[in-house]
Amino acid sequence: MRHVMRPAAFLAGGLLLFLSACELPPVDAVDLGFRGVGMQQVDNPRTLQDSMDAVAARVPQLAPTPDDFGEPAPPGTWENVQVLGHLSEAEFNRFMLAMTTWVAQETGQGCNYCHVIEDDGSVNFASDDIYTKVVSRRMIEMNQSLNVNFAADHIREGGINCWTCHQGQVLPNNYWFYSDGTRRDFDRYFVNEGTRQIERYYLDQRAVRVISPEALSGNTDNTSSIQDTEHLYWIMIQMSEGLGVNCTFCHTSARFSDWEQSPPSRVHALRGVNMVRYLNDEYMVPLQDAWPEERLGPMGDGPKIQCATCHNGAWIPQYGNPATRGETWPALTQIGTVHPSAPSETPAEGTPDQP
Amino acid sequence: MAMLSFEKKYRVRGGTLLGGDLFDFWIGPFYVGFFGVATIFFASLGTALCVWGAAVGEGLAGQTWNLWQINIAPPPIEYGLGLAPMLEGGLWQAITVCAIGAFVSWALRQAEIARKLGMGYHIPVAYGVAILAYVTLVVVRPVLLGAWGHGFPYGIISHLDWVSNVGYQYLHFHYNPAHMIAVSFFFTTTFALGLHGSLILSVTNPPKGEPVKTSEHENTYFRDTIGYSIGAIGIHRLGLFLALNAGIWSAICIVISGPFWTRGWPEWWSWWLNLPFWS
Repeated sequence: MRHVMRPAAFLAGGLLLFLSACELPPVDAVDLGFRGVGMQQVDNPRTLQDSMDAVAARVPQLAPTPDDFGEPAPPGTWENVQVLGHLSEAEFNRFMLAMTTWVAQETGQGCNYCHVIEDDGSVNFASDDIYTKVVSRRMIEMNQSLNVNFAADHIREGGINCWTCHQGQVLPNNYWFYSDGTRRDFDRYFVNEGTRQIERYYLDQRAVRVISPEALSGNTDNTSSIQDTEHLYWIMIQMSEGLGVNCTFCHTSARFSDWEQSPPSRVHALRGVNMVRYLNDEYMVPLQDAWPEERLGPMGDGPKIQCATCHNGAWIPQYGNPATRGETWPALTQIGTVHPSAPSETPAEGTPDQP
Repeated sequence: MAMLSFEKKYRVRGGTLLGGDLFDFWIGPFYVGFFGVATIFFASLGTALCVWGAAVGEGLAGQTWNLWQINIAPPPIEYGLGLAPMLEGGLWQAITVCAIGAFVSWALRQAEIARKLGMGYHIPVAYGVAILAYVTLVVVRPVLLGAWGHGFPYGIISHLDWVSNVGYQYLHFHYNPAHMIAVSFFFTTTFALGLHGSLILSVTNPPKGEPVKTSEHENTYFRDTIGYSIGAIGIHRLGLFLALNAGIWSAICIVISGPFWTRGWPEWWSWWLNLPFWS
């Protein structure tokens, strides 16, 4: 028996080692398509719980939501408040404090990350003489637009707030730049190859259709190259990694391109891609002149958004953790208004340029 | 029908596993046996159920007699490990029982024949590995995942769709370590069979006027070409080893997909990046 025992022990040891890199049953599963066609989403509830716990441990516990958000602050309360005029003074301050955690936490600068300190040491809250304030204002507008205009399209119930993407950092984890060709971090640096600009998928509304509608048709209309196909694969893998989902979450593998055979989540994803294009066109690219040198990528462009910027590896950003929703923040749940000056004053001249 | 020379040894009573003398006889050249009858029962019933399923069109394609599209699908996942209504996967469950009944009966009939011949159980054991692979797909993995709906559908196109979709559930199935091993064994099996088959065809088909060659020629040929000859018995042992491992690792590669790993297989390899002493 000895000569059997030793290999058996090796085999058992190897199997244990093998399984130690794995997960264990039981798992959760749902059908995404007709029964038996292999369109199932299989999740390990314990792995998922670990990820959700990690999010819950990270999210900041901020001041509790008041029962009544109050009336808009009386005219003249603040100077140069252009997108938060609909807030009461208390709610305005609650939101400003929240942003120091949501976005500027890692800097430890608090208010001063976005508000200018004068030579005498006082803080000039009204000044736009610092790029972070200009960008922040535009980002607040973007967040308002997301929660209001995309509520039906892509953003789930409850909306989002700054933390959803920023997670306490001044730059979210998964923005992207154009590559100068030396960067190999494909998740962040998108190659720009002349006319074949499928990597501009997140900017130009350019479709990525590389599959011919029928097999061996001799159809010469399809001029897609191997590079086009590679770029499509790359974008799809970025989405897959960015959302933490597999291919069959949005496609039937027998016919990836066929919308009729695809699960509804593919429509949701397409709306998301359209949203990303809108956000880049409307908010990120126009900020180009606001960025200082150190915020630009190797090709001189500012940071831009992709799916992973918000999703961060989860199919619902931050797994829908309540602290990452916008719903308890009136600053973000409606399109903001300009705070009016006090009636006696004449409108200030030389209002700073807005991005 | 004329009897082959070795059949006299084969056609002896006894050696049955069940039922004593029941069905212990031959019809023409075919041994019947209790498990032969059981095989015919299960195979006929299962086939009839498949035909019935095609007639009522319970699968994705609806009613069709197109052989490619006929589809008997397992229950929806929501039925879990319970019995499903006949036209919502119950048929698949019944056919699965018939299939396993027929396959296992066939293996046991092989075992009875092996006993009559006084030989080892190599053939039923080898065939049992194929049964193991099938049972892993439609019983073991669905039970581990908690629903019969994880079995594959019975249909030519539909089962290919299932394979493709389940592969893409794990992003890139070629990164499944057991799949790698299984594929390697499959290729090696065909390679070994190619080498062995061409050798046998060569030695048994000499040029006109030359005698059939013997194992000395066989050994010399492979010693000359690849430096080693495993020998006449050795190649069959190797072939069995390779073929059985192909089946066993196939079963392993699918049973770990889902029950023991729910993410993309490329991600599984992060254990390598996480190893402490070179990370």
